[in-house]
Amino acid sequence: MKLSHTALVRAPRSRVWKLVTDVPAAARCVPGVAAVTPSGTGKYKGSLLVQLGPVRLVLDGDVALTATDEAAGKASVRADAKDSRLGGTVRATMDLALVDKGEDTELRITSDVRIAGRIGEFGQPVIQRKADQLMTQFAECLARTLA
Amino acid sequence: MTYDYHEPETVAEALDLMARHGEDAHLVAGATAFTLLWRQGLLRPGHVIGLRRIVGLGGITATDKELVIGATATHREIERSADVARHCPALTRTFASVATVRIRNQATLGGNLAHADPAQDPPPMLMALGAEVVAASAAGERTIALDDLFVDVFTTSLRSDEVLTAIRVPALAPGTHATYLKFLPQTADDYATVSVAATMRFTDDGEVADVRVALGACGPTPVRARSVEDALAGAVPDAARIADAAARVDADIAPFDDVRGSAGYKRDMARVWTERALLSLVEGRA
Repeated sequence: MKLSHTALVRAPRSRVWKLVTDVPAAARCVPGVAAVTPSGTGKYKGSLLVQLGPVRLVLDGDVALTATDEAAGKASVRADAKDSRLGGTVRATMDLALVDKGEDTELRITSDVRIAGRIGEFGQPVIQRKADQLMTQFAECLARTLA
Repeated sequence: MTYDYHEPETVAEALDLMARHGEDAHLVAGATAFTLLWRQGLLRPGHVIGLRRIVGLGGITATDKELVIGATATHREIERSADVARHCPALTRTFASVATVRIRNQATLGGNLAHADPAQDPPPMLMALGAEVVAASAAGERTIALDDLFVDVFTTSLRSDEVLTAIRVPALAPGTHATYLKFLPQTADDYATVSVAATMRFTDDGEVADVRVALGACGPTPVRARSVEDALAGAVPDAARIADAAARVDADIAPFDDVRGSAGYKRDMARVWTERALLSLVEGRA
């Protein structure tokens, strides 16, 4: 499933870059994320709680910053997580691009998300909507953090 | 995979069980929605609290002021209730259009509302009728207008310490017409591709004195079509005016693609079925 999100963060590109490539700091801006701890160079372990009404997914897994190009304002992140209670895995690769917009920065995130197991029962529209909510809140939080 | 099943006999006992088991508890009444989610493996509660034995949560009562439907009244009981038919025949027809008799015999209205599936039938009709729900917690009772109950797919504004106990439908002003239309291009027991509920009352001069329109299956929650309502308030509802008002439904809805059609198709169908619902009310007033 391909998802794309764009958000305007009211801060200069250099500051947004610093925050989004600091995985533990950026993760604090993702609603539902519990403690993210380093597990190697550019690698982290963490967990994400996603609630859809009565259904609670606890996605435990690894996040890695796989590529960064500060001059171009581009970074790639890979996330591999599973919910062991309900059964299901989520694998996502996310490409981030930061674009100068005067005083502000446009954050573009294109994601390729592969969902296996029971989580997929929800269907794409519901998952897409949840992802949209997460991304909107993520961008708002980045903006607040940098304000 | 197992869970402990509890059958409290009072709301207080149910609230106590909910407090004791917290997020590990799940409330059911008819358990139709729960059973599907459980079989899909999406719910794994340690404790299931069944509400069907709580006597005060069932039944249907009618007064001059309102119709009160207990949370554990089944769709079939509501469909067959003389009180409901007297209150609003369109409400009877709405319940009769839900799924199949087997499901209607099991599924309850409280469960239907708490489950908050956006494609279900009773919510838009109850929204158009100005209904509200009663929620009980250890702190007491509060009422929530149906317009404020649905937050997202499968998500309501009920707190985790609350039980939905009843649904109140106010008496309709004399001369109010109501309808519920469900677009079912596939099978009669399917969820709607789009559904439209509407109520309308006219002045002696034939103007629209009061109008409420709500749609199901047109986004993450059932939704009021306030743009349509605003376009009709005070107007003489001729065919052109109704067509214009129905076209405005586009601003009120946010459908998504699924097996019942693309978002674009649902937008078109929402306009078509809104227009049909409104026309039927205008034509039916004679």
